[in-house]
Amino acid sequence: MPDFARAQLRRQRANFALFLGPALLLLACFFIAPAIVDLVLAFTDMDRTLAITTLTLDNFSRMATRDTRLLGALGITAIFVLSTLTIFNVTFALLLALVTTAVPRGMGAFFRAVWLLPRMSPSVVYALLWLWVVDPNERGLLNQILVHVLGMAPLDLRNDHPLLVIILANGFIGASLGMIIFTSAIRSIPEHLFHAARADGAGPLAIVRHIVFPALRWPISYMTIHQTLSLLVSFEYILLITGGGPFYDTTVFSLYAYRRAFENGQYAYGAALSLILIVIGVIAALVLWRLMDMRRLLQVPRIEVH
Amino acid sequence: MQVDATVAPDVGAAAALRADWGALARRARWKRAAGQSGLLGFLLVVSVPIILPYFWMVVISFTARSGGVSTQVLWTACAVIVPAVLLYSVVHLLAPSPRVRVVAALLLLVTVGALLAALVGGQLHLANYRFLWRTNIIEEIRSKATAGGQFPSVWTAFFNSLALALSQTAIILTVASLAGYYISRFAFRGREAFLQGMLVLHAFPAMTLIIPIFLILHWVGLLDTIAGVILVLATIELPFYVFVLKGFFDAVPWDIEMSAMTDGATRRQAFRMVVLPQVRAGLIAVAVFAFIRAWEEYIFVRTLLIENRNWVMSLYLFWVSDDIMGVDYGIVAAVSVFYVVPSLLLYVFCQKYLTQMTIGGIRG
Repeated sequence: MPDFARAQLRRQRANFALFLGPALLLLACFFIAPAIVDLVLAFTDMDRTLAITTLTLDNFSRMATRDTRLLGALGITAIFVLSTLTIFNVTFALLLALVTTAVPRGMGAFFRAVWLLPRMSPSVVYALLWLWVVDPNERGLLNQILVHVLGMAPLDLRNDHPLLVIILANGFIGASLGMIIFTSAIRSIPEHLFHAARADGAGPLAIVRHIVFPALRWPISYMTIHQTLSLLVSFEYILLITGGGPFYDTTVFSLYAYRRAFENGQYAYGAALSLILIVIGVIAALVLWRLMDMRRLLQVPRIEVH
Repeated sequence: MQVDATVAPDVGAAAALRADWGALARRARWKRAAGQSGLLGFLLVVSVPIILPYFWMVVISFTARSGGVSTQVLWTACAVIVPAVLLYSVVHLLAPSPRVRVVAALLLLVTVGALLAALVGGQLHLANYRFLWRTNIIEEIRSKATAGGQFPSVWTAFFNSLALALSQTAIILTVASLAGYYISRFAFRGREAFLQGMLVLHAFPAMTLIIPIFLILHWVGLLDTIAGVILVLATIELPFYVFVLKGFFDAVPWDIEMSAMTDGATRRQAFRMVVLPQVRAGLIAVAVFAFIRAWEEYIFVRTLLIENRNWVMSLYLFWVSDDIMGVDYGIVAAVSVFYVVPSLLLYVFCQKYLTQMTIGGIRG
């Protein structure tokens, strides 16, 4: 019996190492370790020489008192995240989901595919298209329409309303994820509820209000938190379209940390700024985790043979 | 007699009712058709800002000449295609029979093709795609003094991208299917804590870790190597794919493994030969998704790769557009089309697999 038990224990350990080992190794090296490194780095003075000379709280006192640009970055972040989120990632996504499920199936699928196009095409290409659309001279697609169709003067959106451009560019991408998730939530509503409502004389708006919305409560709260977080930390399209400029006008907080580190070589200060985002990220991740279907995910497996 | 007298008015009422039903049904049909066309019109209008730029990119890549870009071809093509689409929508709404629809679609396609060939056919050319065989094209345009030696061949970038995307996909498939199977099927101490940790990592934005990742790669000597980027990209997306695959493994009935093991297979054999084939759809979905993500990656490759022999397609396109955007739109557009086609083909042909991915009861 002890022999058997020992053999089983050995097999259990071997299985653990074989199945979970690679994942744990990768996550430890490139996920957990960076988080710890960032935590340490935030309390150092690393600059472009990549050398650490002292441990200091200077980064945080600089953030709190001396960094005049930080406040502006926070304001831009707030405007950017809130408007993109409310206009596109939730409201417009919901609208797209509702409309594409109301038209014939094939048509709905086609338009969903169109809206997924920006997400599926490489970010550099997508950003390039935006640069062409808002090109300030009359070659830009938008200016062609404005000048030749509407007879207006050409606009230079990228310079005059850079925030608007990055909100639109991020919103067109952001809307698609919500659209997909809301669509499948709508699809999973039992068909007979719609029939019953229609038989009871409910119009399309009443159906949306009383049958669709209640089913979307969880997906909407999930999407709101998820997208707030991802808007808060992602700066890919901003970097590509405006580069954070003109000057610092579209430098959101995450891009600010990136620019401080990789443009000015202030790695420690960048790490300290990132640390704030990391803390926000962990909190949001914990909240999201409460919103998921925990019981099903944590269900104990049924096979105990090793 | 008595019976007839009572029946006769009933028949009349029934007839009146029947007529009424017919009118009601007609009205409902019209109302439905009007509502549907309204919704479709809405979708069409809001989708124009997406369709038009992509279409423009393709048009530029086949028509633009050095020096500037003319949108005349674009508007001519739109003037032909838009009425055709509208015409087809009308046919689609009015004629429910599939045969009429197919005939109408074919007729319209032929007409559009003929019109386009007649109106803009003469302006189409492939010269913008010459970057594919004249690999130092940027130097030719910008002169050797300004751009000499800065740009690698597009094929260097292409094969770097391919190597990056394929190896990252292979790592994710192997590691995530092992881990996903283990947390789906095995009971082990700390399973719950492990799952919770993975869930937090899955929602956690890895982009915030870019500074320490840069430093770690620098310390271990993997900075400016494709291998370093592969490992980083595979890891930061790993928790997501583990959960996706766990979902697929959860859906496989455990009787299958049980019977395999009753027949004498070990647990690992059962996994490899019995369970893995069952989740083929999930593996394909994960592979396609991972490939597309790696193919399009920009921020991490921009930060972690420096030398131009290590450039991937996103960096190549970025620097090409940065360098010759004002001079030669056509080549920039052609490089974009060349870069975008692989991921779009994958997306179009594997869509049915991608839509099957679910995580935590939420499809994505």
